[in-house]
Parts: sequence; C-alpha cells; structure tokens
Amino acid sequence: MRKGLILTGTLFWLALAIPTFAASDKILLGDMQDGSLAQPVHLINLFDEEGQRISPDDELVLPFSMRGSCADCHDYDKISKGRHFNAVLPDAEAGRLGQPWIYVDAATATQIPLSYRPWEGTYNPRQIGLTRWKFIKSFGRQLPGGIGEDTDAESPDLQARWTVSGELEINCLACHDGDPGHDRAEYATQIVRENFRWAATAACSFASVKGSAQKMPETYDPFMPEILDDPKLIPLTVNYQESAFDNNKRVLLDIVKKAPDYRCYFCHSNVKLQEPDIQHWMTDQDVHLAAGLTCVDCHRNGLDHEIVRGYENEASVSTNPLAASSSCKGCHTDGRLGASEPKHAGIPPVHFERLSCTACHSGLMPQQKTQRIKTSRAHGLGTHSVNRSADALPHIVSPVFAKQPDGKIAPHNLIWPAFWGSLKDGDVVPIALELVGKAAGKILDGGKVSRSGDWPDLTAEQITKVLVVLKNTVEKPVYICAGKVYSLDNKDQLTDTQDCAAKPYLWPIAHDVRPAAQSLGSGGCSDCHTTDKPFFFGRVDVDSPLVSEAASTKEMVEFQGLRPFYTKAFAFSFVFRPWLKIVSLVSCLLIAGVLLLYALKALGSVVKVLSEEEK
Amino acid sequence: MFRVISITGFIVVFASLAFHCLVFPVSGKHKWGPVAILKKLVHLLTIILLPQQLSLLGVLRKLLYLLTLLCFLVLVLTGFYRPLVMDEHLSGYLLMIHATFAPVFAICVAILAVMWAHHNRFKAADWPWLLRVLRRFIHMKTADKQDEGEQSCLIQKIAFWLIIFLTLPVILSIVLGMFPIFGTHGQEVLLNLHRYSTLALTLTAIIHIYLIIRIQMK
Repeated sequence: MRKGLILTGTLFWLALAIPTFAASDKILLGDMQDGSLAQPVHLINLFDEEGQRISPDDELVLPFSMRGSCADCHDYDKISKGRHFNAVLPDAEAGRLGQPWIYVDAATATQIPLSYRPWEGTYNPRQIGLTRWKFIKSFGRQLPGGIGEDTDAESPDLQARWTVSGELEINCLACHDGDPGHDRAEYATQIVRENFRWAATAACSFASVKGSAQKMPETYDPFMPEILDDPKLIPLTVNYQESAFDNNKRVLLDIVKKAPDYRCYFCHSNVKLQEPDIQHWMTDQDVHLAAGLTCVDCHRNGLDHEIVRGYENEASVSTNPLAASSSCKGCHTDGRLGASEPKHAGIPPVHFERLSCTACHSGLMPQQKTQRIKTSRAHGLGTHSVNRSADALPHIVSPVFAKQPDGKIAPHNLIWPAFWGSLKDGDVVPIALELVGKAAGKILDGGKVSRSGDWPDLTAEQITKVLVVLKNTVEKPVYICAGKVYSLDNKDQLTDTQDCAAKPYLWPIAHDVRPAAQSLGSGGCSDCHTTDKPFFFGRVDVDSPLVSEAASTKEMVEFQGLRPFYTKAFAFSFVFRPWLKIVSLVSCLLIAGVLLLYALKALGSVVKVLSEEEK
Repeated sequence: MFRVISITGFIVVFASLAFHCLVFPVSGKHKWGPVAILKKLVHLLTIILLPQQLSLLGVLRKLLYLLTLLCFLVLVLTGFYRPLVMDEHLSGYLLMIHATFAPVFAICVAILAVMWAHHNRFKAADWPWLLRVLRRFIHMKTADKQDEGEQSCLIQKIAFWLIIFLTLPVILSIVLGMFPIFGTHGQEVLLNLHRYSTLALTLTAIIHIYLIIRIQMK
C-alpha cells in the first residue's frame, strides 16, 4: 500500500515536472554568460550543410555552413527570428517604416519600393512576380541571409534551382567577422552566380570558390557532383587555405561580439550626389562615430538579435529591454555613454512636441531643392558591379521634412514609385514584371537603357501605347509615376489624376547626426522661420521618367500636414520679431521704472512718518 | 493642471463678484441690471465718439484705456480659448493674433502706468484700519471717516498696482524666452510663469474693471 502511494506520488511529480523541463529553453554553450568580458576565441571545426566536418584535404570540399558550424554553441533558430532575418516571417513586428528594397528596371520605367514587412507604401515582392529566389538574386548582395525557399510560391524549375544553389543561410560573419580580409563584395558576386550555399564561405579570407551554380544543370548535385558534360563549365569547388587549419582541422575565426562599423556600412552607407567637387573625405561623419562610439553601442541586441533601431516609442513594439533608453532622448536625458544633456537655449518647448530630434540634427542640411542620394541597399554600393553614375536608378531624394505617424516632423528619404499596375477596387496592384516586359519592351525603345542607368525618356504617347497593350491582359491598366496615376479613358486617351496610390514612399532617417553647432536652429529662428528657408519652403524634386514632368517639384510644406498660407504668414511674422522684442523690453523698462519710482515714494512716506514721530 | 486652476480661478472670481453685487448693491437709481451694464459698456466703447469735455490729454488717456481694454480682451480670448476649451497649446492663427496684440498691450500698459500711477498712489485715507493701528502705536493724526467708495477705491488701487506689477512677468517670461538664455527646462519654467502670471493678471484686471464700472455707476 505504502509503495503504491510512493509510486503514485512519484509518477504524479514526473507528470508535472516533465512538461516544465520540456518547455524550458536549452541554453547553449556560446549563449551562456560566465561574466568574463574578454573576447572568446573561436578556434572551431567547420561543418558543411550535412554536418560533416570540413577538412581542406577532403576528397570533396564543400562550403561550410553557418548553421552547421555555429548552431552547436549558439541558438541559430532564436537568432533567425532577429530583426535582420525575420522580414519574411509572418508574425514579425514591422515597426516604424524603414528603407525598402527598391526594384529598378529602367527598360520598363519601373522603380518600386518592396518589402516583406507590411509597411504602408511598399509592395510585397510577390506582387510583382519576384519569388524569393528572384528576390535574393536581386538583393541578396546586401542581405545578411536567413531567407529560404518559399515552396508554395516557387515554380518547379526554381525549386530545382534551389537544390543546386542551396539556402541563403544567415551569414553570421557578415557582421561578426573581425578579419579585414572578409570580402562582402565577393559575397555579392557569389549571389549573382546563384552560389547561395557558397556565398558566405567565399567571402572569408581563407577560402575561395570557383564555378557558378547558375551555369549548372538543374540535375546538378553539389554533394555528389558528376563529371560535367560541357568541358567549358567549371565545377563548383571550394579551396581552403591549408594554413588556416590546425592539426585538429580547426580554424581560427576572428569573431567579434561587437560588429565593427565597416561591416554595418556595407549595407547601411549613404552618399550624397550632385556635388562633384565635394568628395567623401571632405565630409564629416556622424558625430557619434567621431566621438568614438560605434554603431552597435546604440544599436544593441541580445541573443535574439532583436536589434534596437533607436527611434522614439520603439519600446512599444520591441522586446529589446534597451529600446526605450537607446533613442536620442533616452541617452541625452540620462547621460548614457557620456551623452551631453542638450541645452536648446532659446528654443520654445513646442519644437520638441512637433519635431523629432533628427529634424534639426540629422541628415543632409536642407538646401533650396532636395538632393539625390545613393544608399548601399538601393544601389549596391561596395559591390563589384556597382553603377557609379550619379544618375543611376533608383532616384532617392533627401532630406524631405515630412510628418510622421506620431505627428512629428522628421527628415526622410523619399522615392516616387513608378510602375505599371492594375486598378482594382480603387487600389493599384502592380503588374508582374514579366508581363510588363513583354508589353512595354518594344514600345519603350526596345528596352534600350542608357549606360548611366537613368530613366528612359518616356513620353505620354509611349505610356498610352503600353496601356493599350496591357488592356488586353489586365483589368484597368495604369501607370504610376511622379505622384500621378496615368490611365486610359473610354476613348483610349491618356488621363492623369493625383491619387494616394501614387504617393511617394518616405522613410525616416537618423544619420548622419550633426553636432549642435551645425544643427538647424543654431543660427536662430531664421534657420527655418523665414519665407524662403527650405525647411518649410524648399522644393522637393518630383522624380519622373516622363520627359514633360522632369523638372517638376513640390513644396516641402505639402509633406508636413500644414496649411501653406498659414506657414508662409507665420514665417513672415518673424520679420517683426525684433520689433516685438524691442517694444516689449522698452515697455518693461517703463513699467519697472514706474514701480520703482512709486515704491521709493512709498518708502519715503514711511520714512517721513516714522521720522516725524521721532521728533 | 493649468486648465483646472484657470477654470477654478475664473469661477471663483466671477462668483465672488456676483456675491459682492448681491451683498453690496449699488445704491441709488443705478442697479446691476443687464440694461445698466450694457449701457455702461456702450458708454465705454463709444466714449471717443461722444463730445468730450476733456482736455486732449484726457481724451488720449481714455483712448489709450480703450485700446488697452481691446488688446486685453483679444489676448484673453486668444490666449485662453485653446488651453481652456480645447485643452491644447496656443497655436495657429490664434497665436499670430495673440503675438500681434501683445506688444501693443505691453506699450499701452506701460503708458497707462505712467499716466495713472499718480492717481492710483496710496493715500493715508485709503486704509483707515492701518491708520488705527498706527495711531495706537505712534499716535499719528489721521482722519476717521470711511465710506464704501473709499474702500472700493483702495481695492481698485491695489488691483491697478497688481496689474502693473504682473505685466512685468507676463511680458518678460515671453520675451526672455526669445533670447538664447534659457534651456529647455528654463523655457518650460518661463512658459508656466507666463501662463500663471497671465491668469493672475486677467483675474485682477476683471476685478479692476468691475470696480471701475461700479464706481462709474454710483
């Protein structure tokens, strides 16, 4: 009886305890903190995708896999849900609008912002027929990996290509490799060759990759390669430097916890155009970097790689515990990292309710007209195949001072979407690129594109012709550009309307941060509050392939949710500001004089009364 | 907070004035009826149109007073409307109107201070209770008689000097904020100083206007 009770009790305890153990996360060796702040040495074995240890003298040398090599000590699955890798995950938090991927095809006059995140104004790549495969081919150059095959959406042909090319695993070394020989441009080249599986290995200084998966037949099996029929084809091979391996076939990887700035810059550089006389070395970098901080001092993350983006109110959507304290305000009110407390002398507090910190401190100083910039992700900066022309698409204009969803005005980068679409229930749905290519190819000058990568000289007649052709295949075809929707009327005549569907896509910017002395407002109210200053009255370039629209602009105030007449009148009132000060101060002097005079008189009366009593 | 304090302040002042009217009604044929008040206001507003038996300085003085009153009215309406009714900061066209009338008000108050200061100086007869105390301690010779008119005059004088005094922080709190002297915290302090000193000034001015009308009606 007693044994029975003990047995029952034990079983009951186990029944309670087992789910608890199962639910607890397993903490891997590399994810456990022992308190040491020293840099761990990564002298490790490398493993391929199938878990086989890599040795340079293997008969078949394969690229090493990040999952295979790192996941023994680091929770790869948890990391894969981090900000840099989770765009394709349906439950990932979109957060504030960010820089989209911009698909560009000058031949069809297309420039369209794309994102897997549901950011308003962007389109899902699948909407224009970009499967994940094609997406990686277009943008994988500056992706940190983590995008795999979408089996539902890929055609059987592409599924076979996935088998040859492999998954684009998370490339841990893209950020964490301290080795100066790590070559991200080579990574980009491997993506072009469809060598997804080989890309990360090829970027390392101790390995080189030959061959192109793009040229391999669909039946090619990289794990059991057969002799190729075509002698001109180079089989996909990896060569590791033997000296990189020790006697135990281990490799010393220069892994750094804190990613160096130059790793971030490969994907997050911006460059100003239109000033050929000014080169990059003549410009100053972000004031924080100049002060000795690094990108990751502010943009931090834990094991989950939920990196801080650093904007205000991020804490409401981020699980990162530092999200609240890593914004401009977070550091500059608490003094974190030695951040100075801003004085903002003479600036009325209403400015802090209506402007973001970045409005005065970040981005390019506004000029009478917005400028064009290039970004790494939009223009492939840093890759071997980069188009260095200043006119190369996409055309991003900056800075545009626009109202954010939180009601504050902040500097933004902007692109004017240009694409062919179909009008459905009042919404414009982009048409698949292939379909557009077939319809527009010959009409738009046979797809000839200038070497500069600029827009083709598009005319209204050409748009009409393309829309007429598209009408045979899609319902209510339209062309979007320069904030307008071009469509055909009943007589097949081209009409244009201003429509929300054609509105520009803007994303807020925070860098480069300028010091206080170079911020807007350091020169006084007149930095913004005069009738000709660009903050309110600058001209925003309306980019358009249409020749007739080439020089059009809009006023900055149109993006700020403000009434133009009121803004002008308010700015004009500052002409009288000095008089207001003078009149007010003179009045104060007079009043103070009267008060002083009669206070003295009163004092005199008291003195007189008291002295009479003495007598 | 400011909204609550302001609304409370206005209610208390208007209630006190109403109570005062009831407890101390104006003697004689003039009553605090709506018609009488309307007549007084019309008289005040049309004073410059009527034939005046005043010197040029007297006309200017009344003109100035009316201008000050107009500016005060505009400033109160534009300044308090959004904070009290809409619970928002002053902005937009209201702010522009407010800022346009503010310097006019400032200079008017300054000139009024110069012109009316002598008339509003305190005299021994203004505070008989003080004189009684003084007489007890220092055997000062003073007049005994005191009527309600004199008492009202004392409060009116106090209100006048308070208005003049409060105008200083009201103006300076805004003007100093336009110079690069005060940081964010300082600016907030200045803004609050402007709000609360304006509230005090407004309530005092209402009392002052009430007393002027009351004296005029006697």
